[in-house]
Amino acid sequence: MSDELILEMRGIRKAFPGVVANDNVSFDVRRGEVHALLGENGAGKSTLMNILYGLYRPDGGEIRVNGKAASFSSAREAIQAGIGMVHQHFMLIPVMTVAENIVLGVEPKKHLLLDESGAEQRVREISERFGLAVDPTALVSDITVGQQQRVEILKALYRGADLLILDEPTAVLTPQEAGELFQIIKSLQTDGKSIIFISHKLNEVLEIADRITVLRRGKTIETVPRKGATEESLARAMVGRDVLLHVEKTAAKPGDVLLAAKELHVLDDRGIEKVRGVSLEVRAGEIVGIAGVDGNGQTELIDAITGLQKIESGSVTIAGTQLTHASARAALDLGVGHIPEDRQRRGLVLEFSVAENIALHDYAKRPDARFGWLFPGRMTNRAKRLINDFDVRGGGPSTPAGALSGGNQQKLVAAREIDRDPKILIAAQPTRGLDVGAIEYLHRRLIAERDKGRAILLISLELDEILSLSDRILVLYEGQIAGEHTGEVSEEQIGLEMLGGRERSAA
Amino acid sequence: MSDVPVSHRQPGPVTRFALRLARLEGASAVLVPLATVILAFLMGGVVVFATQHGGIGTRVHNTLIAYNQILDGAGINWFGHFFRHPCLGFIPCHIASTNIHFPGGDIAAYNLSQTLLQTTTLVLTGLAVAFAFRCGMFNIGGQGQYLVGLIVANWIGVDLAGMSTLPHILIAISAATLAGAAWAGIAGVLKATVGAHEVISTIMLNWIAFWGASWLVGGGPLQDPTNPFDPTSSAVANSARLPAFWGTPNFQALDISVFIAIGALVTFWVLLNRTTVGYEVRAVGFNPDAAAYGGINVKKNLIRAMAISGAFAGLAGAVDMLGYLYHIGEPDIPFIQVGFLGIAVALLGRNTAVGVLFSALLFGGLLFGTTHGLAAVPHPVIELQLAPNLTWLIEGFVVLFVSAEIVILWVWNVRKKARLPGPARPASTMEVAA
Amino acid sequence: MNTWAADFYNPVGVRLRDGSITGYAGILIGAFAAFLAIPPIEARSQLWPILVGVVAALFGVWTVTRGRHRLGWGAVAAGVLGIGLGILATHSAPGNLATVFDATLIGETLASATPLLFGAIAGMFSERSGVVNIGLEGMMLMGAFWGVYGADKGGSWAVGLVVAAGVGGLLALVYAFFAIHLRANQIVGGTAVNFLALGITGYFFVQLYNNNPIPAGVSLLPNVHVSGLGRFFERSVGDLSVLTWAALVLIPVAYVVLFKTPIGLRIRACGEHPRAADTVGINVYLVRYGCVVLSGALVALGGLYLSDGPEGGGQFSFNMTNGRGFIALAAMIFGNWRPGGAAAAALLFGFSAAVAQRLQVYSLQAETLFHVLPYVLTLIAVGGVIGRTVAPAADGKPYVRQ
Repeated sequence: MSDELILEMRGIRKAFPGVVANDNVSFDVRRGEVHALLGENGAGKSTLMNILYGLYRPDGGEIRVNGKAASFSSAREAIQAGIGMVHQHFMLIPVMTVAENIVLGVEPKKHLLLDESGAEQRVREISERFGLAVDPTALVSDITVGQQQRVEILKALYRGADLLILDEPTAVLTPQEAGELFQIIKSLQTDGKSIIFISHKLNEVLEIADRITVLRRGKTIETVPRKGATEESLARAMVGRDVLLHVEKTAAKPGDVLLAAKELHVLDDRGIEKVRGVSLEVRAGEIVGIAGVDGNGQTELIDAITGLQKIESGSVTIAGTQLTHASARAALDLGVGHIPEDRQRRGLVLEFSVAENIALHDYAKRPDARFGWLFPGRMTNRAKRLINDFDVRGGGPSTPAGALSGGNQQKLVAAREIDRDPKILIAAQPTRGLDVGAIEYLHRRLIAERDKGRAILLISLELDEILSLSDRILVLYEGQIAGEHTGEVSEEQIGLEMLGGRERSAA
Repeated sequence: MSDVPVSHRQPGPVTRFALRLARLEGASAVLVPLATVILAFLMGGVVVFATQHGGIGTRVHNTLIAYNQILDGAGINWFGHFFRHPCLGFIPCHIASTNIHFPGGDIAAYNLSQTLLQTTTLVLTGLAVAFAFRCGMFNIGGQGQYLVGLIVANWIGVDLAGMSTLPHILIAISAATLAGAAWAGIAGVLKATVGAHEVISTIMLNWIAFWGASWLVGGGPLQDPTNPFDPTSSAVANSARLPAFWGTPNFQALDISVFIAIGALVTFWVLLNRTTVGYEVRAVGFNPDAAAYGGINVKKNLIRAMAISGAFAGLAGAVDMLGYLYHIGEPDIPFIQVGFLGIAVALLGRNTAVGVLFSALLFGGLLFGTTHGLAAVPHPVIELQLAPNLTWLIEGFVVLFVSAEIVILWVWNVRKKARLPGPARPASTMEVAA
Repeated sequence: MNTWAADFYNPVGVRLRDGSITGYAGILIGAFAAFLAIPPIEARSQLWPILVGVVAALFGVWTVTRGRHRLGWGAVAAGVLGIGLGILATHSAPGNLATVFDATLIGETLASATPLLFGAIAGMFSERSGVVNIGLEGMMLMGAFWGVYGADKGGSWAVGLVVAAGVGGLLALVYAFFAIHLRANQIVGGTAVNFLALGITGYFFVQLYNNNPIPAGVSLLPNVHVSGLGRFFERSVGDLSVLTWAALVLIPVAYVVLFKTPIGLRIRACGEHPRAADTVGINVYLVRYGCVVLSGALVALGGLYLSDGPEGGGQFSFNMTNGRGFIALAAMIFGNWRPGGAAAAALLFGFSAAVAQRLQVYSLQAETLFHVLPYVLTLIAVGGVIGRTVAPAADGKPYVRQ
């Protein structure tokens, strides 16, 4: 690794409506080094790299590649400058072979035809040269995810990339595959390639990186060499000491177990196991918070409990009754309330009015309907009551839900769920995208419902929220419970577990 | 989520498209269809203009006259007559130039009654397409479902001849409606179970119905046995014919199907807005994920929506057969347009009841005005054989403009610039690749 | 995946254990059961179709037990259908059969299939690049009218050829603009194209010919005479139109272009994963425009065959295509968006139409059956009975460049 800078990004600024994704971000990469970009969801890592790769234009700042000023307006230009990117969601065509995917756009020709054997030959050559074993004739849909990733890397190398950007590469890999990836990265390094490794996982970053830059909420926090950095120091930089929203709450008085999951295994839509043996209990009158970085199985866990996804093995018991098959209706009738994490896609029908949305679960029952006939008047009355109770602003019962602000939409969803008097309330990212006032309101509401004896399962990506609201905290990492805490626990400890760090016993 | 069929998961192109149309409110709801129609007529006018003879002035003049004559053919001038001479609309009269005696009024009255007859059918086929759209599906199969209804109505109308009127009519209409529902239901089932796209299934079913109907009346069991060389079906028994009230029965008088159509419009609106069925259909159409989350069975609703949609189209067939056609011949079948026009009617009418009504009036007038209506105009500027094609053209332009929603976007932009009050722009999930 | 070595040791056993092979075999055997009863084999005993059909059904049941349910039941259905058709055939007089099923039927099949071949290949190019083209029917109709008009006024069928392709391509260009740039709903847009084509061709047919049929003497598409290969060949393929031969040549050409050239790879990439194609520098919009315009031009040639070919004789009539564009679409789907499959389907549907034409004299029921067969088969295919029909992944979704 030399000291020569292959890449410099200085003062990069990029804003989207409502959020500043990159706020005066600066970092640089030396030739032949592995430089890790560390940060939580929303820290701005992906935006920064998309700017580098020509997919976004920065609002301000400058980029220098090999000392020369550069600005890319398309991926093609970035590729020509020697930058290659392996996206988190692969840009591979499943029905085509490995070789076809790699040579797409720069196909070798034999007269007018595609030189298939030539393509295969060249792919074999570079795959041997860089130690990335793939079968050029295999269909992408037939190979493993780890192999697909190698194909993506080969795609970049085939086009002469000197700087490789790997965006959360281990998110889709098994631990063994991740190990293989690290071997590959090391061998690429010896070949003189430079690598930007984007991640939120501390242990990996410490294993592979030469230097580490930490981003938080769009700003560069620090850039440190690997020597001397520890998981704790990095966790502190990533998570930071932000103002905690303190909520007044008395101690919890847990009662009966209302929700129990035993050895739960759930697959996602693509058949990948996302929940790998989770057991948990939530009692009446307590808030259990599940902390974890997005993508570690939270969504699938919730879907299994609410009947929206099939349970592969294990069981879910709600107030003593087992939820046997995937049916949202059954779960709803058993007393599960669910504030979904994506209120616009799942929680609300934006084109329906407020009143119609409030009726979303129970429109077919009394009082909203009788023998199939709807009574909009009764829906409206109930809506008026809830709008009052939950202080939903921005419209009345007949306003389309899409016209409300995010905070009020969320209040609407919460109002509907709580009004059904569920035994268990699952709140997934309940304050995502909300302003402080709405957040405060919802937090107070959740505590109040807890005190009424409901069992509340809170899933959030915001550590502060988990810490301030939960009576008990579980940490979910890669589909398994990585830690369980009652009572006082430090942010760093939780942060560590969320990021795959090793557990330290409480002092 | 395992509940929602893969092909219907995220708001796909058709769902977003349908919801955008149905969500137009206030001034947009009228402006957009109006602007679309004007634009389409303009384009049609360009074609007429281009094929006239003479200088530009003459051509423009002739084009305008052509449209005026089409409107006359549709009977719109009856309103003018009515207001100027209220009695004229109902006094029997004799039109010297055409040598036809109209017992129920003058020729404008006749034209208007015929337009309304066409409108009736178009309302029903339009409702069929509109209902499916509200559930996020494209029912192109209205033509086939209409034919199925037509045939079944003829069969029952002929075969059960000994019955008294009311039960005979009721049975015929019910059977035809159910048949249409079943025909569309096939596509619904295919979609819900194996995810087959309803466009492909309904197109195939259209042609199966076409050939099936052609055979049935042309050499098959429904052909009139007294005329073995004429491939036409038997005529429906008198007991099954719908009573008429304006005009002479022999001249295709306006029958009570008008009221059936109005009833269908009301049913459509009530079903969608006042029943749990309609609630589910709309929820699935707008947002299948949220619907599943709400406990709604998405697959069941897909089938149900297609079946109801087919029922409307089948009813259209019944009402036409029992109302004024009374029989159908094999050569007529390829010229039936109403199933396809239903698509334009629904799209122009933004898939709502009121919209379908006005849209059907427009196309009904256009359809009749360019075919038989023009026949009675003394000196048509536009040749008689050309005019029906104008309907196809205008229909095509309407559907084309609606497909790109360019008029919607244009009206929105105009309102934004003029800062006119209006509803919030619907949250459209643009297909930005992740 | 099976390797060479494993197959080598027990080839028959392996093949029997593979559910998909026994399933397709069952379907073929079922078809054979019907084929037995018609010339040239002309078995007269009902026993033969029954036996063979039962064998097909057994293959089907075996396939079901191997886990391929839909394919297996398809084979059973083919067996039953084969028995039914075979028995029907044995009932009719041998003389009738010989009149219906003789060598010229092959020629007529190819003739009927010509517009279907053009249409299926055309649709395939468009959809492979990611644009659904429901408007094939309308573009074919435009080619039929404007092509014969060009041949009439231009004095030569070659002029007609150019005009047809040009007009088809032009209409396709308009459609492409709406579908690609304006991101219109492609199905609705395609429907509009069909309406417009009906209106334009109907209108101008009346206008330009003063409501009369096209006068006789229009330069017709020439036929290609092949002789010296024996009676069978002469009677079957000896006198086919030049466009028929062009259509047959088109099949392998389309295969090579789509699967063996760089541009074909890019086309397929645009249809499967346009974003991936975009990130490697392919101009998705340009590729899609090109493919849609090509599809319009090709299918218009199929339309020209209808009006200016041996069947049309230089005449045009309102809505001349009468659903052939949709049958071509069905053939493309049935053939799983592959040139070989689409061609096979087009030939099958052409066969069906040709048989229907001949059966008219004998039995109206049978005629209707064969007219309806393509549509029923496609419904079954779409229902996933004969394996899954897999459209290009991004087919029909407008692509938004970031």
